[in-house]
Amino acid sequence: MTSKTNAMDNIQLQNTNTNGNDGAAHVDIEPVAAGNGEGQGYPTERDGLLARQANAGNGETMPSPHEVEAQRRTNPEKCAMCRIKDQLNEKVFGVFRLWMIIVLILIAIIVVIVVSMTLCTVLYEDVDEKFDSSLFDVPLYFNGSFRLPNQDFTEDFLSLSSNKSQEVAAELQQKLADLYRTSPALGRYFSTAEIYDFRSGSVIAEYKLAFVMPADEQDQLRNFTLSREMVYNVLRQFLYDQEAEESELMYIDPGSLTMY
Amino acid sequence: MFLWQYLAPFLLITIQICRAQTCEDFTDLDLSHAFIGTSLRIKLLLYTRENATCGILLSHTNPTAHPQFKLSRPTTFVIHGYRPTGSPPNWIHNITDMLLSRDDMNVIVVDWNHGAANVNYMKAVENTHKAADNLTALMKKLQEHGVSLSSVHLIGVSLGAHISGFIGASLNSTIGRITALDPAGPLFTGKPPEDRLDPTDAQFVDVLHTDIDALGFREPLGHIDFYANGGTDQPGCPKTIFSGGSYFKCDHQRSVFLYLDSEEQKCASRAYPCTSYSDYMDGQCLNCDRFGTAGCPVFGYDITKWKDVLLNLGQTKTYFSTNKKSPFCMTNYVVDIVTWNQEIRWGYITIKLHSGSKEAVATIDHKVSKFKKFTQTKLLAQFDKDVPSVKKISLKFTTGNVLKPKYKLRVLRMRLTPIERKERPLCRYDILLPENEEVTFRPIPCEEYNF
Repeated sequence: MTSKTNAMDNIQLQNTNTNGNDGAAHVDIEPVAAGNGEGQGYPTERDGLLARQANAGNGETMPSPHEVEAQRRTNPEKCAMCRIKDQLNEKVFGVFRLWMIIVLILIAIIVVIVVSMTLCTVLYEDVDEKFDSSLFDVPLYFNGSFRLPNQDFTEDFLSLSSNKSQEVAAELQQKLADLYRTSPALGRYFSTAEIYDFRSGSVIAEYKLAFVMPADEQDQLRNFTLSREMVYNVLRQFLYDQEAEESELMYIDPGSLTMY
Repeated sequence: MFLWQYLAPFLLITIQICRAQTCEDFTDLDLSHAFIGTSLRIKLLLYTRENATCGILLSHTNPTAHPQFKLSRPTTFVIHGYRPTGSPPNWIHNITDMLLSRDDMNVIVVDWNHGAANVNYMKAVENTHKAADNLTALMKKLQEHGVSLSSVHLIGVSLGAHISGFIGASLNSTIGRITALDPAGPLFTGKPPEDRLDPTDAQFVDVLHTDIDALGFREPLGHIDFYANGGTDQPGCPKTIFSGGSYFKCDHQRSVFLYLDSEEQKCASRAYPCTSYSDYMDGQCLNCDRFGTAGCPVFGYDITKWKDVLLNLGQTKTYFSTNKKSPFCMTNYVVDIVTWNQEIRWGYITIKLHSGSKEAVATIDHKVSKFKKFTQTKLLAQFDKDVPSVKKISLKFTTGNVLKPKYKLRVLRMRLTPIERKERPLCRYDILLPENEEVTFRPIPCEEYNF
């Protein structure tokens, strides 16, 4: 009971002080009340309740408004700094102090930025990797030949039905198909590779490449991605890359490559 | 016999002293002289192949009297610039050695350290006119003794470049050649031609600019003006004041070292006529047709090969890029890249050329390059060294973006064309370049291009 009445007295006193004083003193006291979280800035008839809460909540750590005022009056030059310090150290909610809340908000902002960035990166879809092959309906063919200098042209190569020629043709077709299918630019348009004849001269293989492309882009594709220059040189550089296997039976002479 | 034992050392010492007296060194002053200020006193030091390391003091009144000065040889003067600390230039012996190794000539080092050593730059500038008058009188003496002024070459550094110009102007452009190494800018910029070096000062004037934004002169001053690395910041020079004194002089002094490199013929730096350095870096100025079969001029001592065509052209402004240190020359290629990415990609390209154990690197990062679908992006790739037969090429695509997802550059064709050598371009098709990843491949000789 005594503490309650004390508090009531304090508030009463404070009110009279405030009223009797200049504006500066009024402003000095105001944030103390506001900081307590209730949001009431001006002394009203509920002041008694507010002051009691302040006393109950802050207990011994919180000096009575009287003392605060007295302190401020003695060191007016310290006021601005100590006010900010006081505000930062005030309990805002449960065990949290104001500075903790500020730091937490900053951390939260950083976390949100990082998460959204990683999401962006993870969810990023490369438009160049997306295509609808059902729209590819315009065929495009390339024919040509290359030489296998390490093969002997035997009777087996005369007909494509012989085991030997079928074996070689299958291997070459596989090679061509693998090359074009794994090509970043040409892979999606590639359809088939076929060896349709063998001629003599060591062994010269005749091939046919088939591509399909979307009708609406066909003009550009014909000039760039699916131009003869592109299809021919992708194969040509592949043949130059196989340099190490020059003595192998299936070696293809890069200089012998033709395409039209 | 007994007497000789005692006399011999004395004799040797006397000979040594006599020798030391005949060898004349560049005046060595210190900061205290520079603070007090020095008045002009010119010393002429003659170096020839017979006395390449021992300078001979020449008389102003009768310079040709010394037996070492041969009238039959061409004569080259080396004129230094402002010496704020009074120390001798650290390149003076390199330049005399290099000149003598190139040609049998009289090299005269004009030592005006008394006059150039002064904390007050204005006083040193004033002295340039006096020094020029003095040297003009000397030239007239030489002429009287039968020296042809058209065989005289003046190499002027900084203030020395303007001194050369003043001498040339008072001799009615009869001097054969003036080489100006980063002619001084302060107190000369904006002055009329008679108060600075200009192309009418000699039969041929070649100028190198390395510090146009500080100590050098921005505008063209000769028949040909070379702007090394655009004439502003030289690679390898400190970028901040925290590196001490070299921050101020590094760019300016680089002109001498570039010239020495060219004299030594370590390698050749082709210089390309262009209106600006950024246009040159964008590969827009690689046309050398106006120079005929000789191609674009090679920077340096041997520019005289282009003298006639340059005189016809009037004044030519040229650009070249250099390495951080000697050998300074770079090897230029044009790289063109056609991509098929649906969206425009922006980024930088780093190219490496491999040939056995040799590796040359070019980073194209003077500005961000634009790669548009089915459009050729032409870039100038400047390699730090020359790799004779390229076996492998590495490409790297970077955007410098940390926040964005990793993009891929999808290349249809990349073509590498050497500019300075008549060699077939190298090609590679269908390359996928994931950002920040180096992709190495074997190039093939290009055959035909339709796009």
